[in-house]
Amino acid sequence: MLFSKECRRILTSLTFIIYCFVVGLFFVSQYFEECNGVPYVPDEKISEDHDVIMHGAVDDLATEFFANNYVCYPYGFYKSVRLKEDDSKKVEECLLEVTGLTHDELMDIRDSGEKYYIERGVQETMYYEIGEMPVSDTITYERFCELMGKVDDILGGGSNYKVDDIVFRYSYVPMTDEEIEGVISDLYDKDGVAGGYARLFSDYMGIVLGIMPVFVTAALVSADRRKRVSDLIYTRKISSFKLVFSRYTALVVMMFIPVIFCMIAASIQLIKNFDFSDLALYRMFTLPTFWLLPQIMIVTAVAMIVTEVFSSGIAILLQFAWWFHSNMSNGERLSGSIGKFDLICRHNTIYGRDEFLLSRNDFIFNRVFFFIAAIVITALTAYIFELKRGGRFNGFRLFGKDSIFRHKA
Amino acid sequence: MEKKIEIKNVSKFYGRKQALFDIDLTIEQGMFGLLGRNGAGKTTLMKTLAALHKKKSGEITVCGVPIEKAREIRAMTGYLPQDFSMYPSMKTDEALDYLGALSGIPKADRKKKVTSLLRKVNLIEHRHKKVKELSGGMKRRLGIAQALIHDPTVLIVDEPTAGLDPEERIRFRNLLCEVAEERIVILSTHIVGDIEATCENIAIMDEGRILWKGTVEQLIDNARGHIFTSNVEKRFIPQIKKEYIVTGMLSQNDYTTVRIVSDSEPDLPNTVLTEPDIEGAYMYCLHSSGCDVKGGEE
Amino acid sequence: MASGCLAKIVSSDTRHNFLLHYLAAIGVLLLTPVIFGVSRLDEVLAAQPLEIFLPLMGAILLPAVFMPEQNESIRDVVRSKKTAYLGVCFLRLIISVFIITLLTGAFMLYMKNMDCRVSLRLFAGSFATALALGSAGFFASALSDNVIVGYMTSIIYYIANFGLKDKLKVFYLFSMSAGKFGDKHWLYILAAVLVAAGFAYRKFVKER
Repeated sequence: MLFSKECRRILTSLTFIIYCFVVGLFFVSQYFEECNGVPYVPDEKISEDHDVIMHGAVDDLATEFFANNYVCYPYGFYKSVRLKEDDSKKVEECLLEVTGLTHDELMDIRDSGEKYYIERGVQETMYYEIGEMPVSDTITYERFCELMGKVDDILGGGSNYKVDDIVFRYSYVPMTDEEIEGVISDLYDKDGVAGGYARLFSDYMGIVLGIMPVFVTAALVSADRRKRVSDLIYTRKISSFKLVFSRYTALVVMMFIPVIFCMIAASIQLIKNFDFSDLALYRMFTLPTFWLLPQIMIVTAVAMIVTEVFSSGIAILLQFAWWFHSNMSNGERLSGSIGKFDLICRHNTIYGRDEFLLSRNDFIFNRVFFFIAAIVITALTAYIFELKRGGRFNGFRLFGKDSIFRHKA
Repeated sequence: MEKKIEIKNVSKFYGRKQALFDIDLTIEQGMFGLLGRNGAGKTTLMKTLAALHKKKSGEITVCGVPIEKAREIRAMTGYLPQDFSMYPSMKTDEALDYLGALSGIPKADRKKKVTSLLRKVNLIEHRHKKVKELSGGMKRRLGIAQALIHDPTVLIVDEPTAGLDPEERIRFRNLLCEVAEERIVILSTHIVGDIEATCENIAIMDEGRILWKGTVEQLIDNARGHIFTSNVEKRFIPQIKKEYIVTGMLSQNDYTTVRIVSDSEPDLPNTVLTEPDIEGAYMYCLHSSGCDVKGGEE
Repeated sequence: MASGCLAKIVSSDTRHNFLLHYLAAIGVLLLTPVIFGVSRLDEVLAAQPLEIFLPLMGAILLPAVFMPEQNESIRDVVRSKKTAYLGVCFLRLIISVFIITLLTGAFMLYMKNMDCRVSLRLFAGSFATALALGSAGFFASALSDNVIVGYMTSIIYYIANFGLKDKLKVFYLFSMSAGKFGDKHWLYILAAVLVAAGFAYRKFVKER
């Protein structure tokens, strides 16, 4: 059967062996070792109090605006932004609307503040000690978010005012001892322990699974070309649809197997470290499957289509860019927000069930979306494969005559 | 300097598997054919002669130069591999120019040579086509052009006609004969007809050994008295194929004329001794050296 | 070598086999200021783009050295010529290293112009990182004869620097960003060893 044949081909490919090794190594070095220690218990929580959020953000925005120096982390790396006059004007308009002040009142606040200096890099920036800023009574939280989004756009992204993150940045309040107790008991009562560990497991494994499948896929697909068997395959009777989907399923299944082994290892570790009656062990399998399988699927599907249409090198480059973007744009915050279209979903904590549930709907949408997208893309790949078989399509050319960069007469 | 390749006691291993066993051969100017089944070791021997593989033991000299001096050997050898291929996005003339540069031909000469060679192999109209757009036959002709670009004394072509249509095949053979006039041309093939049409001297290889060497006439002489034809009923054919080496069949109504290679006259009706052809002679040679060739050619 | 041959080899090779790679390297260069701040940085902050992003040029260029002849029949044709095949590969390596030097240098001049505190040791460090990252892929592709395995190795090495960090000891790529400037010579040693080993394998094992 074709499926088992493809599986055997994958099993004996060097890229797959390296893939298994890396998945295993990453599991042990990141998750396994961390979970042998005492887990970190958070001492802050999200209050979701809109007043707290708005006050915090407005104070920061005013401070940075007066100094005209905005610290951003667009990809988790430090970048200081200075605005030109007209951009600065736009930020001021937002600030005025949020505070409900006039231009003169704002300047008064600045001028009454004491000056101080902070050194970052080789620059010393002058700040004003302005105390707490007012927030307009009439402004709604929705309008506030809209304005902050505008500011973030002006700053080029990654600022303190990024809408997705604003809740997490400004509404952390210290937890009382009772609340800490509550968080810990949540792990036992609501998560069955395994649920919390499953999130951490998925978080770590998602990082490698956001990039590694591209190599196995690109190698398998381009091996056809390399060994010049394309012509043979093209003339075989089997339908393109069946061929492409058999190969795709084989890839996804084979690449998920090492992940399953890691789940088993994680479960054994849980059984060793916890009372068995506390464990809802099935969660170590259900959640990571829901979390990671669509990710393997989408990475594989994209790798397949790009390798088929362009080349394996471009597939790798593209996937690396996507991985880098998804991984780094989270910045330093590794838990909490999961966007609708993030390739890699992060939630780097065992506790924090409530925090996770905040973006539960987005998370579910995200995974279902990628699941369906992967299947659609694979169907498209089959269609392209069919065209290639008939000799009606031979991949895009980037340069020269008939390149996709040139208009055809 | 004498134009001659001398091969003495050459052995070659791939890992633990021995691919060549004590090869002894002298090849002189003109066309030399290396005949053998797929996997007989022809390609290995040819790659060794082109200094692409290192031998394990023995001695090879090409026109007096020991094979170990790979640079010198490569300078006087042209090589066309079994399925020639080149960077797909290069244009035909540029590919030739590039390979000429790798051969160390100065720029001014290269230009002239590229044009004249493309003309010679009939590719001059396709010189702006990319390599990947060439047909199998055109690619092979580009292959022979690149092997000739530095005017080598020795030309090594591996299975040059495999996969070509009959017309292309004849054209390719003629081209080879033309260039063989003042060189040593070594040609390997598993298609007996190629040898008959072009080579005087041949060697037959099997499982890494030279089974036989000599001229085409000698090969045919050897087989004289061992090739028969019989006229048999069709239904006996499977049985006959099992017992004898069948090299040809011609059907007429319910009867079939079969050509049989055999040590002694086969016990079949209407059997007559016939003049050997090269195919039969080749089969007889394999058979008399102990190779299992029964079942005929499929 | 006869006149015009070297020029022909380099120009054809660049146009047909490596143009996309060189463009991708320039793409990395152009993306750097988008991802990182590049104005008024002190030495440690300036090390971030120079160490974490710019060296990806090495990962793009070096593993591809053997790529054009991954098809064995092309390799046989090229190897049957007088010019030593590994010599051509070495030439490619030199060109790639030269391009990395040039682009890194250009980028640092740009940073200097943006009032960053750049220094020679930053340059040496960035260059070493690119070489180490690239040579890991170079070595893997030399051994496996598969450029995908080469890229895979480079990227695994890169990711390991985020996951394992200090566990990589002297082979940690981002040491300057952590304020340590003394370990970079190990990366030069690593790169030299891997490149030498890659060529040695090709010469003595693969071409036997």
